[in-house]
Amino acid sequence: MGKFKKILSVAAACGLIGASALTMAGCSEQDGVITLRVCNWEEYIDLGGWKDDERITLDNGEEIFGVNAIYDDFTEWFNETHDYKVKVEYSTFGTNEDLYNRLSLGDVYDLVCPSDYMIMKLLAEDKIQEYSTDFESGEYATNVSPYINGIFTQYHWDKYAACYMWGTTGIVYNPEKIEDVADVSTWNILLNEDYKRQVTIKDNVRDAYFAALGIINSEKLTTQLLDSEELTNLMNATDSETITKAEDVLKRIKNNVYSFETDSGKADMVTGKVIANYQWSGDAITILDGADADGTELWYSVPDECANLWFDGWVMLKSGIDGNEKRQAAAEAFVNFLSRPKNAIRNMYYIGYTSAIAGDTVFEYLDWNYGAEDDVDTIDYDVNYFFKKDDNDGKYIIYADADNFKIDENTGEINRGRQLFAQYPPENVKSRSVVMRDFEDKLTDINQMWINVRCLDVTDISPVTIGIICGAVGLITIASLLYAFRYKLFIKYKPKNGYSKVEE
Amino acid sequence: MKGLRFNRKHLCIPYAVFLVLFVIAPLFVIVYYAFTNGQGHFTFDNFVNFFTSTKTLGTLLYSFAVAIVTTAVCLVIAYPTAYILARSKMKKKYVLLLLFILPMWINFTLRITALKEVLSVIEGNISVYPFLNSVIGMTYDFLPFMILPLYTSLQKLDNSLLEAASDLGASKATVFLRVTLPLSVPGIISGITMVLLPSMTNYVVLDMLYNNTYIMGSLIGSYFSAYDWNNGSLISLVLLIIIFIVTLVTNRFSDKDANNKGAIL
Repeated sequence: MGKFKKILSVAAACGLIGASALTMAGCSEQDGVITLRVCNWEEYIDLGGWKDDERITLDNGEEIFGVNAIYDDFTEWFNETHDYKVKVEYSTFGTNEDLYNRLSLGDVYDLVCPSDYMIMKLLAEDKIQEYSTDFESGEYATNVSPYINGIFTQYHWDKYAACYMWGTTGIVYNPEKIEDVADVSTWNILLNEDYKRQVTIKDNVRDAYFAALGIINSEKLTTQLLDSEELTNLMNATDSETITKAEDVLKRIKNNVYSFETDSGKADMVTGKVIANYQWSGDAITILDGADADGTELWYSVPDECANLWFDGWVMLKSGIDGNEKRQAAAEAFVNFLSRPKNAIRNMYYIGYTSAIAGDTVFEYLDWNYGAEDDVDTIDYDVNYFFKKDDNDGKYIIYADADNFKIDENTGEINRGRQLFAQYPPENVKSRSVVMRDFEDKLTDINQMWINVRCLDVTDISPVTIGIICGAVGLITIASLLYAFRYKLFIKYKPKNGYSKVEE
Repeated sequence: MKGLRFNRKHLCIPYAVFLVLFVIAPLFVIVYYAFTNGQGHFTFDNFVNFFTSTKTLGTLLYSFAVAIVTTAVCLVIAYPTAYILARSKMKKKYVLLLLFILPMWINFTLRITALKEVLSVIEGNISVYPFLNSVIGMTYDFLPFMILPLYTSLQKLDNSLLEAASDLGASKATVFLRVTLPLSVPGIISGITMVLLPSMTNYVVLDMLYNNTYIMGSLIGSYFSAYDWNNGSLISLVLLIIIFIVTLVTNRFSDKDANNKGAIL
């Protein structure tokens, strides 16, 4: 026992030394250099290396070109202008849950970029460091869209989170292969037998659950006029009755779709394996762009029922900042650096998502990107809600190629479109979008629902299958046992008396 | 004086440290999580949950089904191949053997992506045959692990034994059944262990080939992404015990052949 204790204490000591050495390395402020640990989504920032023909020259003379990764540009700028130096340690995560698990395992970051519901969860757990008062007059505060700011204030995130990218969820589809476009204007496409095994859905419980709610409440959502609060509550329902209904819908979806996918959706759309694909708006733009380059025209539709309005925001973590003012200032400077219009444009161009940054330069970029040539039919695409600073200001309208939008004949609303539509949803889409809250204590139930959907149930296996399996296994076992006994594989022969076995 | 001198035993210290830090310590962590709940209290709930939930049992069965069918298919393909390669007097047989091992040098996700395209051409819509595709993918992935041990055990088979059997009047079939096959059993066993165990949990193949049904690996993942370390750990522990039992059983057969021990472990 004594020996065991000794071993244990040695092991514990080793662990402690190792752990403290690691944290020391992370926090080290050698020669006044602060290491800023940033953790962002994969492929979610401009990494530079643009080709020469990608240089963007806007009408107002601004030139945008990405040579180095933005965080390297930040380091260079920061070290030239501040009296202390910073080094950015940039890492990435794949899912919000992945990030959260890493944090609970003791990974330390100063600045991370989780989605809305994860911000809610981290806030509830008091893990987020509030932005300083200086930040309120910084580049983020001046450049952020009033629309985004309004929502962040409404949810009381504004002091803790700085929105980075935002968007909707919807369906990317190939118009040539869809007989009736009304089919893609509803979440029911996931259950539509006409497209059996030709549509994909996202392989994560939140997005799948949202689509299921859209299907369950389809009638109510399309026939009744709900105010934003009713809509939010309806699409955030987590009572057990709704969960049971969603389970049933998702089981039917599972038997109807091509796959639950995480990354393969883009490639499968372009190669034509699937004709419609549940996507986040930012990835939708990348897919549309990619398909354009290959000569296939794809479209993006936001289902008539409801869309999930989502935000990814920069939050500082208490565990990383740890009361260090210089570190916090560096983190805030990083967010402000990303919020410069030119850098926002670089990111938007590189990753396809929509930045939360507004302002005239960004609008110029939109116009450069989507403004129609002189000789085509145009529509007035109104993005005032995003850019407008005050009521007198109504100039944010893009004259875009009318061929890139489908206007509903009855309502006159745009409900399907291409890149611009995906990047800046029009008023009508926005008004039927809701933010999806954290599942909180319902997470276990909903995860169990998801497991029920994805796992094979013993009682679902047909007796015939069981019979065949048992028969096959039994036959093989009997055959090999017979063989083993027939040729006496289990018996070790002993040498006869007077003989001994010669070792090789 | 003797105590301070460098001893050959000291060479194993780096491995011992590795073993403690990355094998034994994590094992304790898994056991701890498996028998506690979210609040850190000791409980058997996870254990009961595993063996009463029809879903986890179904998943266990499904994993077994995929793994066993994969192993059987691998064995059926690999045995004749290994036999022909090992017994033939061909000059270029090493080149042939290399052809079977060559895929292992290419990154695994790349191989499966290529396989996906090939299957799409053959089957049309690959999402219609998820089980078949999973088995094909796994077989493609694990075949070399079956061929190699079989090849080794068949190759070192003593020719004089076969000649003696023939001299004593055994037909070719009897020679195979009574001499060749029994002597290659250690190879078969280590091949089976090397294919069966990883194919039970390799959910990446299923994911990439669009099988929407979970196997054990993906089930653990889904618990972890709901921050439920306890149920996830318990499933890992159960898997570990199953693997341990399978290894115990198979080791019994291959004890005679010391050379194959390494392959099994």
